[in-house]
Amino acid sequence: MTDHTPDRRTVSVPERVDFPRLLDFYDLQDEEQTRIHEFYANLRDGQLTTTQCGDCDAVHFPPRVVCPECHGDDLSYVDLPHRGDLFAFTEVRGAAPIGMDDDVPFVVAVVDLGPVRLSARIEDAGYDDLAIGDEVELVVVELDDATDQDRVFYRFVPAGASAD
Amino acid sequence: MSDTAAIVGGANTRWGKRAATWKDLVQEAGKATFEDVDGIDKSEVEGLFVGAVQPERFANQSHVAPLSAELLGVNVTDMIARTELACASGQAALRYAWLAIAAGQLDVALVVGVEKMNLGDEYMNEMQSTMTNVVDREFDGVNGLNGPSFFTLLAQRHMHEYGTTEEQLAKVAAKNKSHAANTDFAQFQQSCTVDDVLDSYPIAPPLRLFDCSGITDGASGLLLVSEEKAAELDGPATYVAGSGQSCMASNSVNNLPSFTGWPQATQASQTAYEQAGIDDPVEELDVAEIHDCFSISEIIEYEDLGWVEKGQGGAFIEEGRSELDGDIAVNPRGGLLGCGHPLGATGVSQAVEVHKQFHGEVESARQVPDDPSTGLIHNLSGSGSVHSVMILERDLA
Repeated sequence: MTDHTPDRRTVSVPERVDFPRLLDFYDLQDEEQTRIHEFYANLRDGQLTTTQCGDCDAVHFPPRVVCPECHGDDLSYVDLPHRGDLFAFTEVRGAAPIGMDDDVPFVVAVVDLGPVRLSARIEDAGYDDLAIGDEVELVVVELDDATDQDRVFYRFVPAGASAD
Repeated sequence: MSDTAAIVGGANTRWGKRAATWKDLVQEAGKATFEDVDGIDKSEVEGLFVGAVQPERFANQSHVAPLSAELLGVNVTDMIARTELACASGQAALRYAWLAIAAGQLDVALVVGVEKMNLGDEYMNEMQSTMTNVVDREFDGVNGLNGPSFFTLLAQRHMHEYGTTEEQLAKVAAKNKSHAANTDFAQFQQSCTVDDVLDSYPIAPPLRLFDCSGITDGASGLLLVSEEKAAELDGPATYVAGSGQSCMASNSVNNLPSFTGWPQATQASQTAYEQAGIDDPVEELDVAEIHDCFSISEIIEYEDLGWVEKGQGGAFIEEGRSELDGDIAVNPRGGLLGCGHPLGATGVSQAVEVHKQFHGEVESARQVPDDPSTGLIHNLSGSGSVHSVMILERDLA
């Protein structure tokens, strides 16, 4: 044992650490950040779109910058239907990811739009209100967030339920 | 040169909510693994493979294979890597060790699988975020899809298309959780009935809490050696007879080949069966550790591993064919539903179990009867994107 008594000092650690914006789960959507900014711009304008390959005609989802079928990069944006059928769905009732805790319970589904199937949140309905095959329609949600971008995303509601 | 590799020992740490760090778990698993094998010193290890999924998120740590080498005092002379393949990272680590040995590059390899997942109940949202990152974050994770909320969609479709019932799902969970009551390292060691499962809360309907595996801290290890080295050691050995893996350019919801099945599991198992010379898996397999992250997963696997016709998975459990004394003893250690699922460790632990089943080294209550000598391990990842299947044999062909 040494008879030296070490000096004691205090080091401050911040009470809160701000995580990068990635943890809010929505990507940045402008052309500085992503090459699929047109997808988000179209959605902001009220149209759900995706990419189609100019070489092999494949329709993708999610939108791409290179066609996974033929590796062509001559892609253009095509409109997707705004109505589709519920292919499968559930309700998140337990712990949710960061930023979604206040939303619990919420319905998440696979929506069959015809050309593509995508996952999406379903609003204005609970699990017990829904059945496979129910028709749902697009709503555009605007994100109230800490960025200076006008970020948007898509969700669906039972067809006929949205306020026109 | 060795045609294949032999597992000569392995071990699991205690699994569950552990008062231990990521680094503590690696040390425990490494020590127990070396202690399980007579005749191998850590100085002989030439290769180290560490299955670890998200230490960056759970433990704020990357570059974890070298860190593990340091923790276990292993001077790696030939090959070192971490494998990350979400929930299938463990078998991926084992597969590389096997390949390196079978290719003549190594004589002795250490495999460690590890995950520290419990950050405290108040941080459950962080844990759930971590699982959400496994799917395409921008288009699927953003909608709250992760483990329970994704796999329950498969349960709903399987019930819709094939008439699979909640009782059949519950029967899988009750079987595996009851097996885990006989497994001293398992997270959940209470026996469980079908009614217990059906009475549990539907956290992501139709799946209920007891249809889901746990959030688990744990680690497992394996030592693999060449055939020559195994002959020298002359102890319990288990040989890799076949190994397949498949991923079909699919990870996100729109690109999955199916919501009721995994053709990747079929492809991976057919490759493995062919390499191992297995014509009739139900007849020839004695024991299987398959990836029951959720009860529905095991039912789909009965089908897509080629044991029953598509849609008949529910009947397979209903008829008791996957019980310890059934056609194939499935998940005798308790599977992910009973042992918990420390992501990187699961695939490694599955191999530890089959090895110990072959050599009569498990608690007697879960010993598969009639001297098992042919086994299968199956490990899947993410949205079912990747399936890995390995056939293990007690005796060298």
